[in-house]
Amino acid sequence: MAEREADLTKTYDAVIVGSGAAGGMAAHVLTAHGLQVLLLEAGKKLPIEQELRSMEWPYDNAHRGFLPPQSHSLSFNEYTIRNPPYGPGFEKSEHLHSYVGSSDYVKNIVVNERENPFTGTNYAWVRARCLGGKTNIWGRLALRLSDYDFKAKSRDGYGDDWPINYNDIAPYYDKVDLYLGITGVRENLPYLPDSIFQRPTKLNCAEVTLKQGIQKMGRVLTQYRAGVTSEGLKHNKYRSRCYGRGACERKGGCDIHAAFDSPTGLIYPAMDTGNLTLRTNAVVREITVDPQTGKASGVHFIDSQTMKDYSVRAKVVVLAASTLESARLLLLSKSRLYPNGLANSSGHVGHNFCEHVMGPGVAGRAKDLVGKPPTLDDGRPGGFYLTRFRNLAEKHPKFIRGYGFEGGSGSTLFPRGTDVHGFGASFKEEVRRNQGAFVGMGAFGEVLSRYENYVDLDPAVKDKWGVPSLRFHYKFQDNEHRMAEDMKETAQEMFEAAGFEIVHVSSRVLTEGWSIHELGTARMGTEPKTSVLNQFEQSHDVKNLFVVDGSAFVSASCQNPTWTIMALCWRSCDYLADEFQKGNL
Amino acid sequence: MSTKDPIDLRQDRRQWLKTSATVLGASLLPLPEVSAEVSQAETAPVPQAAKTAQAKSTARFFTPAQHALVEELSETIIPADSHSGGAKAAKVADYIDQVLRESFDDSQRALWREGLRLIDIMSQHYHGRGFVNATPEEKIALLTVLSDHEQMSDLPEVRFFIDLKRMTVRGYYTSKVGIHDDLQYKGNRVLQEYVGCDDQEPSSS
Repeated sequence: MAEREADLTKTYDAVIVGSGAAGGMAAHVLTAHGLQVLLLEAGKKLPIEQELRSMEWPYDNAHRGFLPPQSHSLSFNEYTIRNPPYGPGFEKSEHLHSYVGSSDYVKNIVVNERENPFTGTNYAWVRARCLGGKTNIWGRLALRLSDYDFKAKSRDGYGDDWPINYNDIAPYYDKVDLYLGITGVRENLPYLPDSIFQRPTKLNCAEVTLKQGIQKMGRVLTQYRAGVTSEGLKHNKYRSRCYGRGACERKGGCDIHAAFDSPTGLIYPAMDTGNLTLRTNAVVREITVDPQTGKASGVHFIDSQTMKDYSVRAKVVVLAASTLESARLLLLSKSRLYPNGLANSSGHVGHNFCEHVMGPGVAGRAKDLVGKPPTLDDGRPGGFYLTRFRNLAEKHPKFIRGYGFEGGSGSTLFPRGTDVHGFGASFKEEVRRNQGAFVGMGAFGEVLSRYENYVDLDPAVKDKWGVPSLRFHYKFQDNEHRMAEDMKETAQEMFEAAGFEIVHVSSRVLTEGWSIHELGTARMGTEPKTSVLNQFEQSHDVKNLFVVDGSAFVSASCQNPTWTIMALCWRSCDYLADEFQKGNL
Repeated sequence: MSTKDPIDLRQDRRQWLKTSATVLGASLLPLPEVSAEVSQAETAPVPQAAKTAQAKSTARFFTPAQHALVEELSETIIPADSHSGGAKAAKVADYIDQVLRESFDDSQRALWREGLRLIDIMSQHYHGRGFVNATPEEKIALLTVLSDHEQMSDLPEVRFFIDLKRMTVRGYYTSKVGIHDDLQYKGNRVLQEYVGCDDQEPSSS
């Protein structure tokens, strides 16, 4: 792809804010339709292969793969006892990262919390300001939603239905599968539709034991559905097929790009069309509005390095800055015409904020594997996914909606089971004998969308670039806590059914935000009084403004959102291009 | 020390801290005050040749005597056995030295200085000799006292033991000895086909 200097004097057909899963997809679809597109990214373009170094051995790394001494990543305890914006108590470290930034391989991908403060209730907010954003380090679990999610209100009466159903989005899930690649096994589950899968990974022995153990309970364990191309993609020269090298478990990303990331999967191919201009280090601070027409006219941005202010004009503005950053931008874009922020006549921008609750889970040992010769277990993008089973056919008496488990088993580069009591010869032997026998899983559950869970702008605190910070008003409530209690119990009951020796059962709910699945701050809907966007992620108020990231979600479901963000975005951008060509925007 | 009776760590330490001030001074390793954040090169009576060498290599955190002590401690945590080398073979003491040398956390450095000092005082108290010169059984017995009192984390020697074990585990299982010799880790290689329960012999390219 050829990079060129961004021409800021011309009027682009569309400007996209953010280069992650949503921004990359918008760039792919709009450039394919022939639109002239400017893509703005707040962070740098990193030499990503040099950051990720997926096959580096710990002993070849200056700090054995851990963070260098001047950096610190927040722990669960610190999130619990320190309040944002995380200034006091961390004076000793120059760089302060979210909990994800705990290795040498991701330290430059996640933001420095000091430069990007936020206030209010505790939130483990994980942000990646660099080309590709969080897709550089995502967990890769690529799941579809179903009408159990899109029509959840019709099923249990809570919240709102989505303005689309599964049939509307299914063809776009297919397009995403084929364009980006996904591994998995067909299961024919109505609540978790199959994708068009490439070569699947294989379960190891303890995982097969668990799968068989829970079958009699009517529960389903399937291979991790990874957004990874296991066979390669003929249409993409930037990505290799997966070679099972196994650094996936350190969640440091994939330096041959077999795992999807937005730059190699979407942005570089879009640049090859000749229709895409990329501008990095562009911190967008406001969407500008034409006072005559009331339409969006472009954006103001600050160069993150020089601190200089720029403006650029576009006929359509597409926000893809992430659920929380897109909401922040809408709230920042106040004007005489839009005193509550842009696209906010409903007052719902920043509200209905939801995500996934995490923490409860179980760790155990497959006794028949203890002391067996070492096996190769982590040469694959993921272990297993144990699908939702609550509130499908039967109604649970204590909570609504559902949860699934992500898990895995076997040997890892850094052994599991070193946190046991004791030391010496027996400790060493125990670690060695147990290393291949460990099995663990943790739950991801739907957090209900609630108007009273929201973000707004802090009246005083600003980030390094002088842009007002977000303030959180967000807490898990009873439904989440009752669900978490059930997660713990069912996790234990399933490990018992598999005959595993249970080592640890966790009932601890992790800090809000931990799942990195924040959603819903500019939700879609048919009713402009209670929603921000229509079914094509187009603002009810401003027709040439689209918000194509997780903020459009009406509810969180319990399935990981990235694949749905991209399928929805593709559908919306097809509509956008069509309306653009008809002159309707 | 008796292996049958449970040790009362709190009571014992009153005694050994008292006696250490008077009787044992000469036999102890020369160590600085806990609170003093002065470089080892200034305080430790190191031979002149060693001093020059230290100055050249951006000054190690541990004195040679402390380094020898950390080697013995880490080897007691993860010893060599018939299967593989232990912490000494994996050069864990060098790793810990680097972490402490580079650390931005003065309290962690102070904990290690104090911890090493207390270990030798304890060893003198229970076994009549410094830790390095104790028998393997005596070394294990001493660390067992601390391991069995892990909940008393207000005591610096207990906090030191917890950090010693954590850093030894980190250093060992990220070393060539730990990864390849001990665990015989099979991953981090190019595979033509994923490996599952039925086929445990991977096909490498």
